Amino acid sequence: MANSHSNHPAHLQHHFVSSEQQFDAAKMGMWLFLVTEILLFSGMFVAYVVYRTWHPEVFLLSSELLNPFMGGLNTLVLLASSFTVALGIHYAQKDNKKGLVINLVLTFLFALTFLVVKYFEYTAKFEHGIFPGAAFDPHGVSHGVDYAMYNVPYAKQFFSIYFVMTGIHGFHVLVGMGLFTWITIRAVKGEFSSEYYTPVENCGLYWHLVDIIWIFLFPLLYLM
Amino acid sequence: MSDSASSSINYLNNDKSIKSWLFTLDHKRIGIMYLIAVSLAFLAGGILALLVRVELMAPGETIMSADAYNQAFTLHAVLMIFTFIIPAVPAVMGNFVLPIQLGAKDVAFPRLNLASFYIYLLGACIALGALVVGRVDGGWTFYTPYSTSVGDGVLFITTGVFVMGFSSILTGLNFIVTVHKMRAPGLTWNRLPLFIWSIYATSIVQVLATPVIGITMLLLFLEKFLHIGIFDPALGGDPVLFQHFFWFYSHPAVYIMILPAFGIISDLMGTFSRHQVSGYKFVALSSVAIAFLGFLVWGHHMFVSGQSAVSSVIFSLITYLIGIPTGVKVINWVSTMYKGSVQLKTPMIYAISFLFTFSIGGFTGIMLGVLAIDIHLHDTYFVVAHFHYVMMGGNVIAALGGLHYWWPKMTGKMYNETLGKIAAALVFIGFNLTFFPQFIMGAQGMPRRYYDYLPEFQSYHLWSTYGSWVLGAGLFLILFYLIASLKSGKKAGLNPWGALTLEWTHTTTPPNPHNFEETPIVKRGAYDYHLAKELFASGGEVSEVVTSGK
Amino acid sequence: MSHAEHHISSIKTLTIVFGGLVFLTVLTVLTAQLDLGAFNVPLALAIATTKAALVVVIFMALKWDNKVNTAIFGIGILFVIVFISFTLFDTLNRGDLTNTTKGTVQDQQIQAEKLQAQEPDASAIQFNRTPQ
Repeated sequence: MANSHSNHPAHLQHHFVSSEQQFDAAKMGMWLFLVTEILLFSGMFVAYVVYRTWHPEVFLLSSELLNPFMGGLNTLVLLASSFTVALGIHYAQKDNKKGLVINLVLTFLFALTFLVVKYFEYTAKFEHGIFPGAAFDPHGVSHGVDYAMYNVPYAKQFFSIYFVMTGIHGFHVLVGMGLFTWITIRAVKGEFSSEYYTPVENCGLYWHLVDIIWIFLFPLLYLM
Repeated sequence: MSDSASSSINYLNNDKSIKSWLFTLDHKRIGIMYLIAVSLAFLAGGILALLVRVELMAPGETIMSADAYNQAFTLHAVLMIFTFIIPAVPAVMGNFVLPIQLGAKDVAFPRLNLASFYIYLLGACIALGALVVGRVDGGWTFYTPYSTSVGDGVLFITTGVFVMGFSSILTGLNFIVTVHKMRAPGLTWNRLPLFIWSIYATSIVQVLATPVIGITMLLLFLEKFLHIGIFDPALGGDPVLFQHFFWFYSHPAVYIMILPAFGIISDLMGTFSRHQVSGYKFVALSSVAIAFLGFLVWGHHMFVSGQSAVSSVIFSLITYLIGIPTGVKVINWVSTMYKGSVQLKTPMIYAISFLFTFSIGGFTGIMLGVLAIDIHLHDTYFVVAHFHYVMMGGNVIAALGGLHYWWPKMTGKMYNETLGKIAAALVFIGFNLTFFPQFIMGAQGMPRRYYDYLPEFQSYHLWSTYGSWVLGAGLFLILFYLIASLKSGKKAGLNPWGALTLEWTHTTTPPNPHNFEETPIVKRGAYDYHLAKELFASGGEVSEVVTSGK
Repeated sequence: MSHAEHHISSIKTLTIVFGGLVFLTVLTVLTAQLDLGAFNVPLALAIATTKAALVVVIFMALKWDNKVNTAIFGIGILFVIVFISFTLFDTLNRGDLTNTTKGTVQDQQIQAEKLQAQEPDASAIQFNRTPQ
């Protein structure tokens, strides 16, 4: 044990024996955290599945009001951001600071794009009285669609689930943007290298999970 | 290392400033802070319980209005479950003992550990805010639509529960990683103390189940504020779906409460029987089996809620299965005592009382899992008695055993053994006197949570209330002599119980700030008394800290 | 001493996977326009699962990671499936008890009022109503 002090990098906390132990511990902690995220979303998926199996025709009808091209665009945006995060980690492992920073900034911008698209989607719904909960009151006509026709029993449940699911997901995107801001600043300062890039790796894992949730939300809400 | 330095500096006296406590990253200090917080919650919940029992001494109004009574039992439940029993063993004893038993300097994420304590405090304060804002009287289960139609107090409690959930998740996550990554050299999975195994299983449940109560509370919140119509039947929602959500967390949460108790009992049985715990591997893995099976039985709380008969049958069948791993444990504990030489110290007396009270709680649980019998017993005092036999007769008695066992290590002081035994007897007698009559009146049809009752139930209620006083007296006696021991207790030796786990053999009393002077190297299992020659050579008392070098 | 091998995914691998993900997204949008009857939902879910698997295995590098992390992730997914399926045991079979009806209390009242309008003898209706 005596030699554990001879090689003591700055990032190594005192209660770990080696960088490797610290890295493994952090990564395992992150995977456990991701599992808690998955179970958090599982509640929404249960609500979705239950109401969908009870009222499939209402869900099909209501999903017509969602714009699959906006949703599809956002899917591509998130996939691209997952790609850039993966690239960022690749560059961190290769000690390429410039590549890392560029990809982190790109990821941030993609996340921002996602939220901007989401904002337009939400406001388009709000304009026609599509709100979660008691305020749900579809009205008006646009692009030849008469929204009042969609005011059927249980359509409210569909949109409640839609807003809660995408809302919680959007909140996670927002948190992700905060994380990437923090990571980018640290990367610019040159804190990461092939020796130590745990925070990049863990933020990446988080971000991929946010992407995966959306990969399921997209077909469930927009397409079927 | 000089001997004088190692014996005088410990985690309590290395820095005495308030700030050094509030911002400490030391798992031992965080454990002590949890101990204080959790004890206060237990005290508050306990006083409410005594008030509820006094009210029920006679039919009709005794000391409080029906309205006050509804709020009192609701707060009793919320405080006891969310602020006391869920964090009690994992966050207090888990924090204090687990890293030392693993031979680690600390948990894997010390900062997260401190954060989880403050998140717990924040959540508890928010929940208590309900007291200020107004009435919460729907019981701790927050069933819709009642919970979404009454005042704002519910919002505070649900937000508090939501916040405390994060604390529970972070503790569980921390412990899982710590057990996987921080074990000392030589400490294989087969040598782990059984306390570690059960805290590990508990942590799995915390990590997997707690997020679901988070989303449930969030949806309840939205239901109340926005009327999203998921749970409220008046809006087309389904109240039984709320119960699925709620019990997907809250049934596994029962195992968050009882699994750590199993771990303490296993440690006590091994140590005070001076014998390897029989069926070590079965006892260890049964904790994990209970953790997993515990996720598949939530519907047995909903047999009369209108869920489908198909699901009731499935949930009922799986409920029986839980009896198997639990039985494996009880049988192995008894067999450990049979093979070993039992030393009746205070902690062991709690362990033996646990065997009685927990077995009663467990068997009545199987009875309640039987569909037809549950129709009769559902929502009666039989259920109340059952879960108090498991929660109080299981968790609290085990926690008291654990507290008495680790008290010398935590504080460096011995408590009065005679008073300890008297208190243990009072707790055991008082507990049974309180809750056994509740089985009888429940079977006769006394509904739970009722303010008023028929005169024929009065004698049972009277006995139950007298019992609660005996129980209360026992608990206050414990509080008294433990606090007294801090001032005037005898100085505790390094290993007063002759235990073989690392917190007794490889560190000072109280432990030094970094737990060990050298990383211990483990060469035997946690209860391998047949390999512990050095212990018996000195007549059961160990005077010297073992270090790996010697 | 702390220099264990960390897998580094090549840019080529990452790009191919990204291309695959984009292709699958386009595919799921296109197939959603077709009416495949009962196959609509399974197909969309199969595509989504494939995409998620690609992200987990390659982007999140679970393929080269510690097996414990794979187990953790697997257990998480398992319990989501448990949550969904055990809830469905109930919600898909709701009202399968023989002494209940699928109608709500309100439905039954409407039904009773209808019968009352047809049938002058009120006691017969009382008798027919399902006990609550």
